[in-house]
Order: sequence, then C-alpha cells, then structure tokens
Amino acid sequence: MSVYEPKILSGGEHRSDDEIMAGCGAAEDSPLVIMELLQRFQVKDVMRSRNIISLSRDDTLRSAKELMRDNKISGLPVLEGRRLFGMVSMNQIIKALEGGWLDDPCRMHMSTSLVVLEEDMPVSIALKYFHNYTFGRFPVLNKAHEFTGILSQRDITNAMLKELAHEIAKLENRSERHIGTDAAEVARAEGAIPYYSLRQFVIVRNDLANAGKAANEIKRMLKDAGVDARIVRKVAVAAYELEINVCIHSLGGSITVILDHQSVTIVAKDRGPGIKDVEWACQDGTSTANDWIRSMGFGAGMGLSNCRRVADVFNINSFVPSGTTVVCEFKLEV
Amino acid sequence: MKISEVIKILDGKLVAGGSADGKIGEIVANDLMSDVLLTDSENILLLTSLASDQAVRTANIVGAAAVVVHNAKPLPATMCQVADSLGMPLISSPLAKYDACVRLYLARKAEGTGA
Repeated sequence: MSVYEPKILSGGEHRSDDEIMAGCGAAEDSPLVIMELLQRFQVKDVMRSRNIISLSRDDTLRSAKELMRDNKISGLPVLEGRRLFGMVSMNQIIKALEGGWLDDPCRMHMSTSLVVLEEDMPVSIALKYFHNYTFGRFPVLNKAHEFTGILSQRDITNAMLKELAHEIAKLENRSERHIGTDAAEVARAEGAIPYYSLRQFVIVRNDLANAGKAANEIKRMLKDAGVDARIVRKVAVAAYELEINVCIHSLGGSITVILDHQSVTIVAKDRGPGIKDVEWACQDGTSTANDWIRSMGFGAGMGLSNCRRVADVFNINSFVPSGTTVVCEFKLEV
Repeated sequence: MKISEVIKILDGKLVAGGSADGKIGEIVANDLMSDVLLTDSENILLLTSLASDQAVRTANIVGAAAVVVHNAKPLPATMCQVADSLGMPLISSPLAKYDACVRLYLARKAEGTGA
C-alpha cells in the first residue's frame, strides 16, 4: 500500500450496519412522503458530479485555503484523475495556520481515513451516514472505486424539495385502489370465493423498507377469501418475488392481484428500464443486482425462475426502455 | 419441537412476534430470501443472519413458525414491528449460525424427530 492510499472505512468499522439501521431514528421518524423520496433516489441522483473543485497531492494547504475561501466551501477532495487520495477540510487548514505549515503539500496533512458512499446506495442510507458521522460531506465512489462526486446534506435537501412538489400530486393517488371490494365482502360472509376482486399496490423504486408488504397483504386477502392454502402460498411466493424485482430493478411500478372463480392472477408492471435478455434473466442464478442489494438478502437471481416454478401460467414481456410486465396465473381447484 | 424449546437450546430470547407455544417443522438456515421461498415445507424455523424486515416478511410468506437471528445482531425496531404485526415469533440468539445448527441437530436427534 502506498503512503497515499486512503483508508476507506465502511460504516461497520465505526458502527455495524445493523446499528446504523437500528440506531438512526431521524429518517424513520420522517413523514411518509419524504421517506418514499429518500428510498427512490440513489446517491448518484442527488450528488454533485460536475464542476467539483479538487486538489492534487502536491498543492499546498495555502492553495486549499484560498480555494475554500473563494468558493465558500469547507472541504475538498484530493484527486488525481478519478482516483481519490484524501480530503482536506477546514480543520486541517486551522491546524496549518496554528502550526505554521500552510505551505506544506496537501499529501502531508490530508485525511486519508475516509468514509465514502457508494453511488448506488439509496439516499436514505446516505442520510444515516450523516447521522452517524460528523462529516459535512462524503466523497462518492462507483463500483470500480473511482471518484464520481461529492454528497452533502444540502444536496439531499435541494433534490428532495425540488422533487417534492412533483410528487405530492402523484402520492395523493398512491393509496391502494380497490375494485369490487363490496362483492368480496359479501362473498366472504357467504364463505365463497368472490366473483371478482382486483387490488393494486404501487411499488416504489428502492423502497426496501416496505418491499414485501404488498405480497403479505395479498396472502392475507386470499386466505380471507377462502382460497386453498397451497395455492395461497404459491401466489404469495410469486407476488413477493415480483414485488422485490420491481422494487430493486425497476424505476417503480405496480403489483395487481385479480381473483375470480377460476384463478388468481398476479400482474407485475414497471416503468422501465426493461430487460435486454429475458431468457437469460429467467435462468436460475442470473442477476444484475449490486452488492448493496445482495447485502439485504436479495439478488440471488432466483426471482423470475421461482415465479415460473410456482405459477400454472407464466408470461413475461419486456421492452427497453419502456418496461417489463410479468403475468403469473394460478388455477383454482373448483 | 416447540419454539420455547428452540429458544432454550439456542440460549436465545423471544424479541417480538408474540407466543413461543407453536411447533416447528423443518429447519432452514439461509440468508438468501429467494432460497427460503423455494422451500415447500410448512412451519419451518428460519435461521438467518439477515437482520431486516424482509427476513420476517419472507418467513411469513412461506408460513414459517419462527425466525432466529444469530450472533446477537442488533435488530432494527422496524423488524420487531413487522414481526409483531404479522405474529411471527422473532428470536435473537448469541450463537453463530453453525453452532445453532449443530445444537438443533443434536437436540432433534436426541428427540428422535430427525434433523
């Protein structure tokens, strides 16, 4: 390791991921609408990636001080190309002023123990890092560990406020749509499967905190309607896999369950980006999930093949970039 | 085997989800939720290192009897809330997954119900 190699600390070296998840109530206490926005956006959607002012290792702390003063910023990344070597913050400048080493090169005094964010993390996780550390900004790296931007809390606030105005109108229609509920109630009272019932759930991109709610609700609904337990289990498995797929792989979409006398149908529809090779995606073990998704217990590449395994009829149509529709039908034993 | 016996064997504690009176069927030790969804058995005991809401939701989908999380991992408050709302017993154990599996295997062997 060269002396310039920054030590990248994961969250776990200070606190475990679980502690971060458990310990931070700030995001969990936020209003629902804001939480959904936080889940939907990834770090790369809100970070600053252009016109980033940076230093090289040989720049002096004096030039760092001047850059900070002229641009009203309190921290600068030390870069060469897209490689991140360290950070210089106001703290180091104050120490240099006190110690008289303002003309030393940055490489001698920069912070090299860095906490970084991955660009495909949800913003909700990034906020937890802000909560758990005292840094005002985090450098952002891509999968190849190249520097791609800087994220401050201000960037998050700006992006959220901008998006909030657009989202409020949409969120008013977010609640589940019920069609035929009265018929379902009557049928349930009579102990028979309702003639026709349809229910739709909106699935928000990257909202893993709520992923699985729709499938669990579908399971409860079918159980209440008197559907055979073995079929309920199959439908629930497919609904769950499809819900997770829409959540982690798409821009967002919906899960619809249709129940009639003869069958239960689950329709998962998303708004893109579509699957390039559907056959490949339907094979066991194939996945485009990233490490973050895998760390949450998903991305094993079994989703679509699990659906195909449990469903009596399985259909998938996908177009790049408009989106994917998966239909799983389950015959009722009548 | 009852869930209460599982808790005793694993030096665990019931953290959320209500009663420990139910009985367990097969034991599934896995951190990949799609693998868990592949199981066909009812009333499984899910042993996992995944301390997240999805471990509980997945367990509910397959009709599991209970969920055990290892290594005394801190459980997010939302995970406990989901377990309570779904009535899914959630157990925290200080044991590593391997040790937990061995203890349960030996206990079931002694009980004569297989591993």
